[in-house]
Amino acid sequence: MLKKRVIARIDVKNEYVIKGIHLEGLRKIGDPNQMAIEYYQQGIDEIIFMDAVAAYYDRNNLSHIIKKACVNVFVPITVGGGIRTIEDIQEALNSGADKVAINTQAVRNKQFIDNAAKIFGSQCIVASIVAKNISVGKWEAYTDNGREPTGLDVMAWAKEVEQLGAGEIMVTSIDRDGTKKGFDIELNTQVADSVSIPVIASGGAGCKLDVVNLMKNLSLDAVALGSVLHYKHEKIFYIKKALTHNHVRVRF
Amino acid sequence: MKAKIAIIDYGMGNIKSIASAIENVGAIPILSKSTEAILSSDGVILPGVGAFKHGMNRLKAAGLIEIINEYCKTNKPLLGICLGMQMLFSESEEFGSTKGLGLISGPVCKLETNDGSKEKLPHISWNEINFYNRESTDAILSGINDGDDMYFVHSFAAVPDNNDEILAVADYGGKFFCAAVKKNNIYGCQFHPEKSGEIGLIILKNFVNISVSYK
Amino acid sequence: MNDQLEAYYGLPNSVKFCKKCVISNQRPNSTVEFKNEIKEKKKVISFTDEDICSACNYHDEKETGINWVEREEKLKELLSRFKSKDGSYDVIVPGSGGKDSAFTSHILKYKYGMNPLTVTWAPHLYTDIGWKNFQNWMHVGGHDNILYTPNGKLHRLMTKFAFHNLLHPFQPFIVGQRIIGPAIAKKFGVKLVMYGENQAEYGNAIEENENPIMNMDFFSVDDSLKMLFGGKTMQSYIDDHGFSKIDFAPYIAPLKEDLINAGVEVHYLGYYLKWDPQECYYYAVENTGFEANTVRTEGSFSKYSSIDDKIDPFHYFTTLIKFGIGRATYDASQEVRNDKITREEAIYLVRKYDAEFPNKYFKEFLHYIDTSEKEFWATIDKFRSPHIWNKKDDAWELRHTISGEGCDD
Repeated sequence: MLKKRVIARIDVKNEYVIKGIHLEGLRKIGDPNQMAIEYYQQGIDEIIFMDAVAAYYDRNNLSHIIKKACVNVFVPITVGGGIRTIEDIQEALNSGADKVAINTQAVRNKQFIDNAAKIFGSQCIVASIVAKNISVGKWEAYTDNGREPTGLDVMAWAKEVEQLGAGEIMVTSIDRDGTKKGFDIELNTQVADSVSIPVIASGGAGCKLDVVNLMKNLSLDAVALGSVLHYKHEKIFYIKKALTHNHVRVRF
Repeated sequence: MKAKIAIIDYGMGNIKSIASAIENVGAIPILSKSTEAILSSDGVILPGVGAFKHGMNRLKAAGLIEIINEYCKTNKPLLGICLGMQMLFSESEEFGSTKGLGLISGPVCKLETNDGSKEKLPHISWNEINFYNRESTDAILSGINDGDDMYFVHSFAAVPDNNDEILAVADYGGKFFCAAVKKNNIYGCQFHPEKSGEIGLIILKNFVNISVSYK
Repeated sequence: MNDQLEAYYGLPNSVKFCKKCVISNQRPNSTVEFKNEIKEKKKVISFTDEDICSACNYHDEKETGINWVEREEKLKELLSRFKSKDGSYDVIVPGSGGKDSAFTSHILKYKYGMNPLTVTWAPHLYTDIGWKNFQNWMHVGGHDNILYTPNGKLHRLMTKFAFHNLLHPFQPFIVGQRIIGPAIAKKFGVKLVMYGENQAEYGNAIEENENPIMNMDFFSVDDSLKMLFGGKTMQSYIDDHGFSKIDFAPYIAPLKEDLINAGVEVHYLGYYLKWDPQECYYYAVENTGFEANTVRTEGSFSKYSSIDDKIDPFHYFTTLIKFGIGRATYDASQEVRNDKITREEAIYLVRKYDAEFPNKYFKEFLHYIDTSEKEFWATIDKFRSPHIWNKKDDAWELRHTISGEGCDD
């Protein structure tokens, strides 16, 4: 029986874990490797490292973090932020990442996902879509870690990245990120219903009930958690327990 | 003395993670594609992430097909992981028909689901494995419980001609597919033991133990 | 070569950049705005012999040289002197509902138990996000507010003159903004006015950092008719443009003696609590419904700093023209000091964004100051100091940039 995945999303700037609100702000809250090991030991299913300022500086700076992480963390690791070239992807995978998340470069050059999927396989490529609600039922995709609007409708873009060969989609709600006010369930379920590849929802969890309310929508495959874990509002075990009680199957 | 486990480096596969995991369970990982390193190790892992055709082409270009065949004659253990497991088989239907190593008989086919199931491809998730031949649950699965979750990421799966060679299966969209195989000294895991947490590490530890027992 | 180039506004002839942050020695200090005229020699941020700016020095002092526990005690003592016993307002908090004033008003009310009346000197042209944050400040943050909007006819005219005569379109705005706090305090019989951060954070005179009380000269004047707006006296607006003294009521500062007699004191919260603008952002989001903008501000990388006025980007564009430094330089310098980004990262950001022209509200700005595009650029070019700008063919280039890519670097 397939399990839904509970993923820890760790935003990194240089040596620190940082956590913003609405993807803005660089408050330092910890050490990325320590956090990854802690979450692994507590039963997390996957880790996503995002280079939070890569877009500013046009670089992905996480190789040293990945190399350290995969020595002690034996669940899948995804790395994203500033992935611009095939070489960047190779470097990330060589450092120990299992998947890469791509946003800005995919919008700038649609062929990038297509090429990357052909070389590395779709299962390595996570299309990261950062979404801002612009009117009822409509969201616009943003690049550069939520800084630059693209004019792209999120649902249409989601379908397109699937066509281009992405193996998964991670949707981040700018409106909910860091607010701990709950997920944008409408956004996440619509994306999940629009595509036939797995979808990871990100942005907004403040308590385990938020996670339950989201994952009860079984079209979603995974949920990525940030503030709720980093600020220790909830423990992974209890989140998973709550999910199980609500008939969402997870790994223990 | 620690076992030496060669991890075949042919440019595809998350060898770093596997190496870390092998180290973690007390063996020495050797990342290589040289005949010397492979033949002199106590156990060999064939990793793989990506397309079957691509993988086979790379093995061929590096002269590894012959080396692997020669290694298997020594009766030392070989473990194929994910694409590595698939390449052990006769052929795959991914992107047209491509020949595999043919060490285990059977095709590699796209995952199918029961009609009406809404499962997505690729199959990226933690999923339960169930032992298939209970009586012959091998040393490689020692310490693993029936129903334990492993991490899968694939769209294709091997279909062994001989059911006796199936060690474990998993359910995808209401249909079972082969999750682990064994034929003599050749093992395969469709899932990634190096990414399946502590339970996955147990499997790798078992493999190391099997390698040691051949020393 | 620089010695031969004229430096306008009495700015230092040789352009230097701070070795710790990215500000240049051309950055002017805050002035008494209603005395601001074009011939005035600008006082600028001071640099040590090792080329460290005073703002960075102040920051180091903040980190290690100040006992913040003691300072907080001082704050509590101060507040206890003014706390009302009958439920009336006991502190005026001037601001826009942006992160700094949101933090100030909310913490005074909900942590320290004061009863603030917030006062807003209206932006020239509200942005949507600015209005939303302003409303949330009251309705989510839980505050009372007076929004004071000055007569647009006069305000626009003064802004126009300020742009053309001083290349400082915000000058009239700042005059009113500084006055509103003490003026409303006097009107309501409230004695304490509390601003957020001290401008010393950004390099104003060191002496000011030692002093919690704002210099009275900033907002009180003895003969109002001599006050300067856009480089013209109040008298000249009355004589030449048909206004009367009564139109200037919002800009006329209370008399110094009146304020002193009324017991009005103006303090900076940044003297008492260790100030971190980014932490103010987090606080404001969590407590007053503040939202960052969806897009970054033109000329910078920031999404939450000063986002309520459509004219604001033009203030920074004029600093780029006059002093060679734009918004990204200001924002990045602050973030380096507060340890959010490294100096290398700051340089990268300045390089990427500093010279970006604020296109989004350009037409609205031109309309606001009743100026054509041609007139706009003619004025802009008049203010380019030769020691900062070089004209090559038809284009202007900076002589010195933080990344060492100026034509004279």
